[in-house]
Amino acid sequence: MANEKEGAGALDKGKGKATEAPKKDDAVLKDAKGEPKEEELSEEDQQLKSELEMLVERLKEFDTNLYTPAMEAIKNFIRTSTSSMTAVPKPLKFLRPHYEDLAGLYDKWAHQDQKLMLADVLSVLGMTYSDDDRQESLKYRLLSPSNDIGAWGHEYVRHLALEIGTMYNKRQEKEEDTQELSDLALSLVPYFLRHNAEADAVDLLSELEMIDQLPQYLDENTYARACLYMVSMVNLLPFPDDIAFLRTAHDIYRQYDKLTQAVVLAIRLNDPDLIRDDFNAAEDPLVKKQIAFIIARQQIWLETEDDEVAECLNNTKLSAMFQYMAKELNLAEPRTPDDIYKTHLEHQRGGASSNVDSARHNLASTFVNAFVNAGFGQDKLVLVEDEASPWVYKNKELGKLSAAASTGLLMLWDVDMGLSAIDKYTYSDEIPIRAGAHFGIGLVNSGIRSDSDPALALLGEQNVLDRENAVIRMSAIMGLGLAYAGSHRTELIDYLTPILNDGNIQLCALAALSLGLIFVGSSNGDVSSAILETLFAREPAELKDKWSRFLSLGLALLFVSRQEEAETTIETLKAIDHPFSKHTQVLVNACAYAGTGNVLKIQSMLHLCNEHIDKADKEKDKDKDSKEAKEGDDIFQAYAVLAIALIAMGEDVGQEMVLRQFGHLMHYGEGVIRKAVPLAMGLVSASNPQMRVYDTLSRYSHDNDNDVALNAIFAMGLVGAGTNNARLAQLLRSLVSYYHRDENALFMVRIAQGLLHMGKGAISVNPFHTDRQVMSRVSVAGLLTVLVSLVDAKSFVLSDAHYLLFFLVPAMHPRFLVTLDEELKPLAVNVRVGQAVDIVGQAGRPKTITGWQTQSTPVLLAYGERAELEDEQYIALNSSMEGLVILKKNPEWQAEQDS
Amino acid sequence: MVPARSEHEQPQLIRGLQGNAQSGLNQGGPPGDKDGKDGKKDKPKYEPPPPPPRPGRKKRRQQGPDATSKLPTVYPNARCKLKMLRMERIKDHLLLEEEFVQNQEALKPTGTTDDRAAEERMRVDDMRGSPMGVGNLEEMIDDDHAIVSSATGPEYYVSIMSFVDKDLLEPNATVLLHHKSVSIVGVLTEASDPLITVMKLDKAPTESYADIGGLEQQIQEVREAVEIPLLHPELYEEMGIKPPKGVILYGSPGTGKTLLAKAVANQTSATFLRIVGSELIQKYLGDGPRLVRQIFQVAAEHAPSIVFIDEIDAIGTKRYESTSGGEREIQRTMLELLNQLDGFDDRGDVKVVMATNKIETLDPALIRPGRIDRKILFENPDQNTKRKIFTLHTSKMSLAEDVELDEFISQKDDLSGADIKAICTEAGLLALRERRMRVQMADFRSARERVLKTKTEGEPEGLYL
Repeated sequence: MANEKEGAGALDKGKGKATEAPKKDDAVLKDAKGEPKEEELSEEDQQLKSELEMLVERLKEFDTNLYTPAMEAIKNFIRTSTSSMTAVPKPLKFLRPHYEDLAGLYDKWAHQDQKLMLADVLSVLGMTYSDDDRQESLKYRLLSPSNDIGAWGHEYVRHLALEIGTMYNKRQEKEEDTQELSDLALSLVPYFLRHNAEADAVDLLSELEMIDQLPQYLDENTYARACLYMVSMVNLLPFPDDIAFLRTAHDIYRQYDKLTQAVVLAIRLNDPDLIRDDFNAAEDPLVKKQIAFIIARQQIWLETEDDEVAECLNNTKLSAMFQYMAKELNLAEPRTPDDIYKTHLEHQRGGASSNVDSARHNLASTFVNAFVNAGFGQDKLVLVEDEASPWVYKNKELGKLSAAASTGLLMLWDVDMGLSAIDKYTYSDEIPIRAGAHFGIGLVNSGIRSDSDPALALLGEQNVLDRENAVIRMSAIMGLGLAYAGSHRTELIDYLTPILNDGNIQLCALAALSLGLIFVGSSNGDVSSAILETLFAREPAELKDKWSRFLSLGLALLFVSRQEEAETTIETLKAIDHPFSKHTQVLVNACAYAGTGNVLKIQSMLHLCNEHIDKADKEKDKDKDSKEAKEGDDIFQAYAVLAIALIAMGEDVGQEMVLRQFGHLMHYGEGVIRKAVPLAMGLVSASNPQMRVYDTLSRYSHDNDNDVALNAIFAMGLVGAGTNNARLAQLLRSLVSYYHRDENALFMVRIAQGLLHMGKGAISVNPFHTDRQVMSRVSVAGLLTVLVSLVDAKSFVLSDAHYLLFFLVPAMHPRFLVTLDEELKPLAVNVRVGQAVDIVGQAGRPKTITGWQTQSTPVLLAYGERAELEDEQYIALNSSMEGLVILKKNPEWQAEQDS
Repeated sequence: MVPARSEHEQPQLIRGLQGNAQSGLNQGGPPGDKDGKDGKKDKPKYEPPPPPPRPGRKKRRQQGPDATSKLPTVYPNARCKLKMLRMERIKDHLLLEEEFVQNQEALKPTGTTDDRAAEERMRVDDMRGSPMGVGNLEEMIDDDHAIVSSATGPEYYVSIMSFVDKDLLEPNATVLLHHKSVSIVGVLTEASDPLITVMKLDKAPTESYADIGGLEQQIQEVREAVEIPLLHPELYEEMGIKPPKGVILYGSPGTGKTLLAKAVANQTSATFLRIVGSELIQKYLGDGPRLVRQIFQVAAEHAPSIVFIDEIDAIGTKRYESTSGGEREIQRTMLELLNQLDGFDDRGDVKVVMATNKIETLDPALIRPGRIDRKILFENPDQNTKRKIFTLHTSKMSLAEDVELDEFISQKDDLSGADIKAICTEAGLLALRERRMRVQMADFRSARERVLKTKTEGEPEGLYL
């Protein structure tokens, strides 16, 4: 006994270190020999200690009648004690030396009620037991079922939750029964939820793999925070858990009638039935329309009877809204390429422009003009009526194709006007112009659905698709792909699959690409087997063709974010004995895990990049002649680099971390890796100009390897796409003077400048929307197509296949917020726009945006920005204020105004 | 040619200005800078725009890990699985990086690299020569040239060797110079005042919390405000509050303010900087504020850290109209301190502890909440505490049987902790004088008399009787 007293005294001495339990044990040993130090205790402490000891003594005696009051007294002491945050409460500290004794007593006692009480106390005392492996708290808690666990305090409940988690894993390993653990856990959940600790509740349930139990414990006040927490965890969870989380969160939103949030999660789940179900569940027509807008943003094609809703679903209003925004924000005035280049700021070194190929210059102007004025329906170059020599004729050969097609981009989303503008080119005598017109028809219809199906009617005609002229056929194929990207329309299979067997590998590849775009992320069996068949049937020599990469890409696009479902295809591909098989496998893998942030996949992609040096060395050693033949065999490494970006971009942590990885790749990699790195960086932060990214890219843009420099320049454009970022614009302008003699680089700089000012700063190509939650598969497909072509820029975009740049169109989407009234007419309200803040798991109700400004809608939202309504006059039907949002009058607001 | 060039140069020039302004000494900086840049225009036409690392810019702010290789910050701070998952994700990525780099290094043609590196190092050493002179970088002219001054007086226009890390070069840096050609061959990085390195505590004081008698309340408050925010920031985050930035300890002399600070220093693993207020008063204008700045800069670099300023009333007195230059300089020093405590830049994990026994003379701005969130009063010990202090001090003394300390404890003397210690020491000295091995009660009594006598000296005794 005396020993124990000393021990307690020593404990008190170590008060300052109360959190460090092991040290205390040392102190006990040391001071046991020294002189007693009781006097260090203050009087109250001394009193408390002796009382507690007296109570413990009483428990050790044999008078069973005294047990109950003694237990009550001890309980009372423990519950009423308060202490600083990390120190152990005093009663617990004083009782600790007696813990073993009490535990021994438990076995001796006979009376059931008293045993329960003792177990209750022991469970609490077990918490301070420093030994982590014993889970004593839990053991005694299970021995004394109590309804009032919360009475012992938050820290205790948390501790218990921790022990439950550990114990559960242990029992799982030994395959023991875990039912009692689950029951106990479920009794803790309501406590957590009541005390603003949804995170703990969710953690506990996920630890026990029964997250589906959560909804029954939630209520009006807690569900929102719990769901937010769950959704933000999804990206980081391993495969089955993330689906379970999404489904649970979806169910919760459905339960509380938050259909717009539910449908976003359904889209993330990629479950068409669920989406349709959510869509049909909406009774309020306005909510239904809002859901239709969300679905339309993701370019999922649903059918509905209601005409008004169908209008929302078909994106028909997009053009009108975009024009409205342009008018309100004074963006309607068309801009010429020279405005973009700011030629007056470029210094001319001795008439530098004269030695630049003027056809190239005009071609660049065509693209810049198209990207800058995209969707506005007017410009100063192509659509000008009365000019003597139309711009189209200022281009050469395939340049005319692009020029004619750019009409489609200028009239983007506006089907009626667009078709009539293109109409004049369809009757042209010159084949490239006619081809361009076909391509343009596809561009106009991108992302828009119309009942009359003009694209299919015009492009699907037998005499277009089967015409001898390859150029026209090619542009019709691409046009179909762009117009119906993401539509999953089965009748298109019949149009396009026959072309897969065409003798012209270019047509075949583009048909595969179009199929991939149309059935993006559908893992459609018919299409995939058709493309696979083609791959098997083709001669190895044909697969070597530069166009064959789009065959692989087409196949890969089918599996965008389908994860495991791509496995069979990958297995099948292994049967092809050709380096081509490996390229395709990498692409399919990349697409299948796009946006998942899956670290294992990133790792395997990095392994692919590892192999390289080895092989290259061997090749060098063997014979230099065969190297020529093997050219392009290592292209899978470039794909692997793109894959890393594609996989990591879905999640913030990965997004930042891969940038570091790219630095290493750039440092160690060979040419083929190095030239893909800038593209990958551009993909990871598309339309998100961060200082550190474009600074690095600007450094790469002076790389000795011309391919790297070209791609870095394009990536600079991609990073700044549609942002008008002034710093990037300045960097690009300085590149103009730096590269004024290198026409390839100059062309690329011009394109980058055009991208930077895309849609006069109103259009973004970032594939993530709705609070950066949902990845648009169509956008990813579009971006990836362009990037894959740029891996070998000199044989595509810088050669005569510049029209491939138009594959960016599916990724283009206005970054506006337009608020609509109940008649779907634009409504100007004040909103606050500011940087989004991650509020998950924060205490209280923190602000969701920071550094906001108040503006009147329509407004433009940059990457990472969020908007919220300024006052409560209206209620937004969509949870995330992005794109088209319907506002409803708040009835309570009116009442306030009146009073 | 001219307009684009000059436009491109604009930001650089401004930065150059800032760099010079910050160093405070380099008067001739900006024009010289410009001249140098102009000279560069005559170089070959295909010269790329200047690469990102621009010398001559102050880069102090982002010391430590490079901005590009910084790890993402992890939210939320609460203890939850989300945080764990995010941390794990970062770890996974770092592992990937490690694996990749290791593989690549392994694949590199081995054997030659080590030798090559050694050889190259030798060559560099040769080029550096020995001995090297130490000089001061006065200003950067362009990427390869600079003006340096050496301790012997003259200033030189010298070239910078290509192997010198240009990022580290900044006006006023200490550089190594070749003994013949006087070209810059290296940079000495330690730029902060040696005074500050002295302030850093290398050896923790021996006093721990156990050596403090009483003061439970104060210990708890200091721990809550200073230690726990550094160890468990998540507790505050969960509660939704910001931890206090600093505390001030005040109370009459000898009540244990400095002792408690020592105990904090003993206990914590954070960097502990201790300064006395009077140290901040310097001979030259501007040196005091600069010292304050540097202290906090060092603290931020070594974060988490605790800055302890003893006797803050030396510089922290109320401001008033003053004609004396010295007074004004002291006030300026305090103003710098005010800014460092709660200024524009976030200090991060730097906690400030101040101690004074004249809190009423301090400037109200200094101790307002936000700068100093907690004011902790140290009172003269009450009976209980007195007993504890007595036992603490006497526990190591050899006492005679008749010593009964309760007599002193129950007396209503206004004793501070220091007085009690003085009594014990005095008693011991008295016993020593008599060559006794044990201290007797009588020693204590006379010791008390003596201490109380000296304590009340100066005050007119019996005025309040």
